[in-house]
Amino acid sequence: MSVELTELQDSARRVLDGAGLAAAEEAIWAQIVELGWLLVAVPEALGGLEAGIPGASTMHAELGRRLSTAPYLPAMLAVDAICQSDLVERDSWLERLVGGELITASLAECGIRANGNRLDGTSIGVQSADSASHILVWTACNDVVALVALDQQGVEIVARPTWDQTRRLFDVRLASVDLADQTILAEGADAGVLIQRLLAQRDFALAADAIGGASALLDLTVEHLQTRVQFKRPLAMFQALKHRCADMKASIAAAEAMLADGLRRVGDSLDSADARHKSMGAKLLATSTFARVAEDCLQLHGGIGMADEHPCHLFLKRSLLSEQLSGSANAYAAELALGLLANTK
Amino acid sequence: MKADGGIEGSTDSIESLRQDVRAWLRKNVPAGWRDAMTNVGQDSFVALQKDWFEKLSQAGYATPHWPEGWLGGGRSLAEQKVIFEEVARADAPRLILYFVALYHAACTLFECGTDQQREKYLQGILKGEIWCQGFSEPNAGSDLASLRTRAERRGDRYIINGQKIWSTMAQYADYCLLLARTDNSGPPQAGLTYLLLDMKAKGVSVRPISQITGDDEFAEIFFDDVEVPVVDRVGAEGEGWAVAQATLASERGLTLVELTQRMRYALPMLVNTMRERGCQDDPVVHRDLGNLIVNVDAACALADQYLMKRISGTEEVGDASIVKLCYAKTLREFSALGVRVSGLAGQYYSGFMRGATQETGNWTLDFMNSYNWSIAGGSNEIQRNIIAERMLGMPREPKGWQLAEGKA
Ligand SMILES: Cc1cc2nc3c(=O)[nH]c(=O)nc-3n(C[C@H](O)[C@H](O)[C@H](O)COP(=O)(O)OP(=O)(O)OC[C@H]3O[C@@H](n4cnc5c(N)ncnc54)[C@H](O)[C@@H]3O)c2cc1C
Repeated sequence: MSVELTELQDSARRVLDGAGLAAAEEAIWAQIVELGWLLVAVPEALGGLEAGIPGASTMHAELGRRLSTAPYLPAMLAVDAICQSDLVERDSWLERLVGGELITASLAECGIRANGNRLDGTSIGVQSADSASHILVWTACNDVVALVALDQQGVEIVARPTWDQTRRLFDVRLASVDLADQTILAEGADAGVLIQRLLAQRDFALAADAIGGASALLDLTVEHLQTRVQFKRPLAMFQALKHRCADMKASIAAAEAMLADGLRRVGDSLDSADARHKSMGAKLLATSTFARVAEDCLQLHGGIGMADEHPCHLFLKRSLLSEQLSGSANAYAAELALGLLANTK
Repeated sequence: MKADGGIEGSTDSIESLRQDVRAWLRKNVPAGWRDAMTNVGQDSFVALQKDWFEKLSQAGYATPHWPEGWLGGGRSLAEQKVIFEEVARADAPRLILYFVALYHAACTLFECGTDQQREKYLQGILKGEIWCQGFSEPNAGSDLASLRTRAERRGDRYIINGQKIWSTMAQYADYCLLLARTDNSGPPQAGLTYLLLDMKAKGVSVRPISQITGDDEFAEIFFDDVEVPVVDRVGAEGEGWAVAQATLASERGLTLVELTQRMRYALPMLVNTMRERGCQDDPVVHRDLGNLIVNVDAACALADQYLMKRISGTEEVGDASIVKLCYAKTLREFSALGVRVSGLAGQYYSGFMRGATQETGNWTLDFMNSYNWSIAGGSNEIQRNIIAERMLGMPREPKGWQLAEGKA
């Protein structure tokens, strides 16, 4: 990791530790904006830190550690999509975003279709849509990427409360929204390339977030076992529990190595087929590791883990949601298997 | 090892080395060696290993991890990694008959041996001498430091009495890396001494142990007043424990890069079995396979990362345990999926392959062989203890337990 990135990570950790677990969305978002974290992956020429996806990934992991409630992930997708576009007003868009205006996006299926010059369909899993000015949409046929203002005719936002209390999801329904009135970032083949890039980023980001969450929860659990005394000894002395912690530590390390390796190999070619493959693998492994870790950590907490006042359940619920976001664990596993089948003569 | 050998090296020279190694392997890997090693006697196995060792070592590809000045040595870690990756990719036989010689013995001698010992024994290894490792005993497995084989100093010799067990390839070995007890008075680790023992010396006898797979890769060794000259001691008397750590460390790093890569290149074997069994469209199998693929990729990434940490001197306590534990667990899952997919057909006995790699596509055999990595070289449970205690800072179990009078 570069020196700048390490410094950024340290300062992020300080700020987020100060704010506490699952801190209020507005407060965290204000910090993110003020500290310029949206600029991490933006090229220097456009005023950014140019730390690329590895830089963004570091931030996602830190935010994941603290169960961030802020829509940093979708905002980062919007920032990247704008940087990749050749919009005439690109700089002013970036300025607006960096100044705190939120453009959100789907963390699940962006089920929007372009019918001639109309956009229709429902984008699900859109984070914090009620505080956003626009949604970044891409079409199912990979032919359009656009920014759609949320306060226009034909756009409806429906809150979808989730068990996860750390992220707020919405459905965004578009009915006959005129494409010509929207800000188009890419069309045709260019759109296909940009979408690949966005999907790979989204998966890498979810992976990093999950790794952050899993490591923080394991730390918390080991600390609990160290301090909780039963049978006249700290629970941490019982080998049955130590071994489960060791297995969790090893699985998290494996998911982390896989993410780092994927990012390193993909480098700048985020829109390649290989990037898609690597990001799916990283997402699948990291989010399912997080979910398994969260499952076990709650057990290791005993009764206190079932209490709402204890943060254990926040991790568990976030992990269960993350496993289903983007492509579900089952769907991704199947897709990777089919890839191997197709490549084996 | 070159000091400047970063893991990436200079991309051009690395790439041309890769092409050279690949071309050489294409020409030299014995065609059909897997079939030739299936259901055959030991002689054929030894002959194939000897032949492959000669070719590989002459080409300099058996000893890339040795220092400058030795045949094939002086390669940067980046270059070594390329050679291992290509060997894995080409599905060349693993040199298991020479593994202890090329790694354990060589690394121990480079790190802790004298010049005379290096000159004598390393030249021998290059000529094809075979070594075995005599550490474990019937009553000293995971708790290796409790070993009891005695080495008693008499003038310029040590006199050895006792027994070793699970010693891989001991029945073929010319020499043995022996860990023996010279002192009983202090803590168990303190009284150990490391010796190089001639397996042809008077008083050594070896009894192969037949394994659950039908193979007999390991053996018991008995020592009855065997003499070892003091010049064949590595390190000082009583400092064998530290030397043994150097021996055990040699298995880590590159070996795991090779093994994880081999596992990745073997994934298509599972696809072949799926097709043979007609379950290539079964969504349940797809899901299992997809989850396995990411675990295999992660094991490769971990092994790579570990090697990079060693190169950059940033290895931390417990890192090696994580890599080994992940590899052992993933290898078990890999072969277990093979067993599930192969169904009843996998339960019909189809013999076994000698000196096979961990993946042969004979899934029930592979499943059994996967225990090599979860038991030997520090079992999974021992790795978990290390991770929990030294990485996570969880307390050790309280000492003070006493065995009842008359037990053990
Ligand atoms: C294929 C193979 C090749 C080998 N080759 C060699 C060789 O060449 N030379 C050599 O010297 N040895 C060799 N060994 C021996 C190997 O090092 C030992 O088998 C290993 O150290 C385990 O010791 P053990 O078999 O006595 O099992 P034990 O130590 O009796 O362990 C039995 C079970 O108890 C568990 N256990 C033990 N201690 C603890 C603990 N503190 N906490 C929790 N669980 C524990 C173990 O994990 C294991 O599951 C080989 C073994 C195998 C399987």
